[in-house]
Amino acid sequence: MKKTTITLLLAALAMPLFAARPITIKGSDTMVIMNAKLAEAFMSRNPSSTIQVTGGGSGVGIAALINGTTDIAAASRPIRTSEIDKLKARFASTGFAYPIARDGLSVYLNERNPVRELSLQQLQEIYTGRITNWNGVGGNDATIILYSRENSSGTYQYFKDNVLRGKDYAPRTQTLQGTAAVVNAVSKDPNGIGYGGAAYAKGIRFAAVKKDAKSPGIVPSLETVRSGDYPITRFLFLYTRTRPSGAMKSFIDWALGAEGQKIVSQVGYFPVK
Amino acid sequence: MKMKLLVLTLACAVSLPSFAADEPVVVIAKADVDAAASAVAADDDQQTEPGSDEVTSPSAEDLAGRLDSITEAFTEARNTLDNLNRMRFSGYIQPQYLNDERSINELTGVAATRNRDQFSVRRARIKFAYQFSPTSRFIFQPDFGTGGAPTLKDGYVEYTEPWTTWRNTLTAGQFNWPFGFEIMYSSSSREMPERSNVVRTLFPGERDRGAMLSGVGFGERFNYRVAVVNGTGTAQTFDFNKRKDVVARVGGTLGPLDLGVSLYRGAELVSLTGLTRGREFDKERTGIDFQWVTPVPGLGVRGEYIRGVQPPNPGVAQTVRAADVDGWYAYAIQNLGTRHQFVVRVDEYDPNTDTNNNATRTIGGSYIFHWDANSKFMFAYEQPELEDSDPDDNVFTLRYQYSF
Repeated sequence: MKKTTITLLLAALAMPLFAARPITIKGSDTMVIMNAKLAEAFMSRNPSSTIQVTGGGSGVGIAALINGTTDIAAASRPIRTSEIDKLKARFASTGFAYPIARDGLSVYLNERNPVRELSLQQLQEIYTGRITNWNGVGGNDATIILYSRENSSGTYQYFKDNVLRGKDYAPRTQTLQGTAAVVNAVSKDPNGIGYGGAAYAKGIRFAAVKKDAKSPGIVPSLETVRSGDYPITRFLFLYTRTRPSGAMKSFIDWALGAEGQKIVSQVGYFPVK
Repeated sequence: MKMKLLVLTLACAVSLPSFAADEPVVVIAKADVDAAASAVAADDDQQTEPGSDEVTSPSAEDLAGRLDSITEAFTEARNTLDNLNRMRFSGYIQPQYLNDERSINELTGVAATRNRDQFSVRRARIKFAYQFSPTSRFIFQPDFGTGGAPTLKDGYVEYTEPWTTWRNTLTAGQFNWPFGFEIMYSSSSREMPERSNVVRTLFPGERDRGAMLSGVGFGERFNYRVAVVNGTGTAQTFDFNKRKDVVARVGGTLGPLDLGVSLYRGAELVSLTGLTRGREFDKERTGIDFQWVTPVPGLGVRGEYIRGVQPPNPGVAQTVRAADVDGWYAYAIQNLGTRHQFVVRVDEYDPNTDTNNNATRTIGGSYIFHWDANSKFMFAYEQPELEDSDPDDNVFTLRYQYSF
């Protein structure tokens, strides 16, 4: 009896060692809902797989990929050369990128704001602090209140690289944790402006964005993002250290397949295929 | 009773992993909610006129006043947080045990010994970075290791121009010589305990004082660094000659292959026998380096070749000339999973290429076990040998590193 008890006890203690190790996805807050829904659907079809999804920002996810604490990094921006250098040095790998969805980076305005469209040039001047009053872009005589994401966010970096063209945000820009917080702030502030993924945009209006002063304003939609007419589109990525195999490969293949891409559309992003 | 005990034990054992989860679990008990509700109710009671049962709602002005005070407090707290967020701390400590075949159990003075076998703290560094604007930052890194007084490793200010995508950066202060790969590769990341012989000899301390311009371009596939420095390293307080040294590296990335070319041109004033005012000698180095992510999964190879002219040591005869020197190193690093690294390094340094049989070749290897994201163990063995002999000077190092 004593032997049986000890054997059972040892077996119970050893169980976690033999259990399938969960796949971890860490990174972009923009992607966290989409990734959670993808993981949930995949696990319901593959009960032996476990996928854990956490946010923290694209930078945090890629840092975790570099230090070996996550299997997959979710990022709403391309990985940087300096990050690839760290992957090369630590793991002798240049990383593997999987664009899993397209996103139209939307510009949010309060519903009471009379401004309907903005050019990329105007957006750059607004966010770098050269235009500080709405009357500078055809709106009311009111100070523009800038809302942005925190600097660990891939959305922050993408907007900086592609809309501000590398210039710095105006010092008075208020940074908020998560796109939902930006949407919430703009929805309560008639003079506010923010940006973020289309998936979160509820209760506020999207500004039509013009490539230049002469171009027509385009609102982000499936058609305009897919066709590339909307000027601020980006891919959302999953990054791995090594070429995926086993359950990780099955998950990524499935997410890029018809079922996965259907979920991508359901949460408000645009399929890559 | 025994059965109950067994079931309870098994249940505990099986549930253990749940408590080891990385993510904290926040549980809000109903009691907490009730307590919070009571507190709100108590606060509301304060609005009631004394002696009256009627509850009066706060006026719009009261609420606006409260909101203003909360906003003010929030703004102050956020400003404080913003200032704290500009500050970044990182660091690492390397306690180690070293076993050296040259060790002899013998004193050479009151506080000196020929024994080299010992425990020590090889490096204990804390790096402070303060980003005082989006384009400028301050770096300060002292080292408390090696048993002596704390020394300054890095101390510089950086200014990055905001106008172009090249991110041209001016650095002023004390920083790594921008030469080759191994000098600038952090000691916390390096896969062997110390840098290769050629780098340690030609660039002692790896740092100097001066000003540097650096930047990246062509989609970050190209990078450059050019510095003007004293040329003395950090061991000397003064630069003994007026001439400043120039050191530069240009590098490029071709997918899995990184290449770099480096130059060092300078001079050193050396005191000679019978000539204490010194004579100036050329100090030159030219190097090429590469880092390659091979097609073999997890296998990286890197190497560097340096040749140059090295001034003589102080105090030698006036007839001694600067020596032509060269050296190289090569690493092969094989990763297995996320935790195991196997490393082989071969390096060679020839202190005078015009003389035979004086080059030293060192063959070494290490196994690194990454315990978690912060800590790792290194087991390293190195065997230096001369061209014509192999003296007893092999070294074993067991090192633990914790970084944050």
